[in-house]
Amino acid sequence: MDDEQEMIQRLKRGDPAACETAIKAHHRFLIAMTVPLVGRDLADDVAQETWIKAFAAVEKFEGRSAFRTWLARIALNEARAMRRKYSREVSLDSWGVDPGSPITQRFTDDGAWSTPPSQWHHETPEEILTEAELQECIRKHLHKLPSDQQSVVMMRELAGLEFNEIAHALGLAEGNIRVLLHRGRQRMHTMLEHFEEEGTC
Amino acid sequence: MLTCREMSELGSDIIDHRLTFKTRLGVLMHLSMCVRCRNYIKQLELTSNTLKKISIDDEYVDTDSILKSVRKPDA
Repeated sequence: MDDEQEMIQRLKRGDPAACETAIKAHHRFLIAMTVPLVGRDLADDVAQETWIKAFAAVEKFEGRSAFRTWLARIALNEARAMRRKYSREVSLDSWGVDPGSPITQRFTDDGAWSTPPSQWHHETPEEILTEAELQECIRKHLHKLPSDQQSVVMMRELAGLEFNEIAHALGLAEGNIRVLLHRGRQRMHTMLEHFEEEGTC
Repeated sequence: MLTCREMSELGSDIIDHRLTFKTRLGVLMHLSMCVRCRNYIKQLELTSNTLKKISIDDEYVDTDSILKSVRKPDA
């Protein structure tokens, strides 16, 4: 049994220490995922409501998705309810517009690479994530993405939500979600490439 | 024949396996000849897989106050 499954079994038994472990592991993620949707102040309320609902319903959690994905689904529902309640707080009207490729200047007029990708020192996510400075740099740049790209990257990559769930939550077409995800990945790739070349964030 | 710029635009569809048969043939043909695009697509996938595994929870979290406010399930 891995650590997450063990924590879930303890949560199902109502172990307060497991609640603390769960909050420590996922609270910041819930805040980060919901800030672009509802704003900083309401994100705290969304996260709090998410924990109330999650602890009350954890017995029904069957482990068909990761615990973080399950929490993210609850948080999205709470964020939607919060947005309905405070409809003027955060507008998503400008979301989903494709700003175009962030690497367009790296190609010649006929579409060949003029600044090709460099060779990287790291081959796997584990190798990348063992470097504390690089991890911190990724987090920093994740928060610097445009709000719509940041939300989609958080929901898809970090939370593991399906495209149709994200589209529904943001009121956008799945095609828009895929474009936003691609732009977000491209920007994060550029950040990683810079770190691989320079060794600094 | 797809250009490298077009390959970069297809990057996420490639790593998410969402190409039509015809586009997939064009992509495979391009990749077989272009080490630069092979690098880009491989690195884009590594970027995506790294994001899937990153934790954003290393900051201090005041679990006591959160637990108090959400009422413990055994309370």
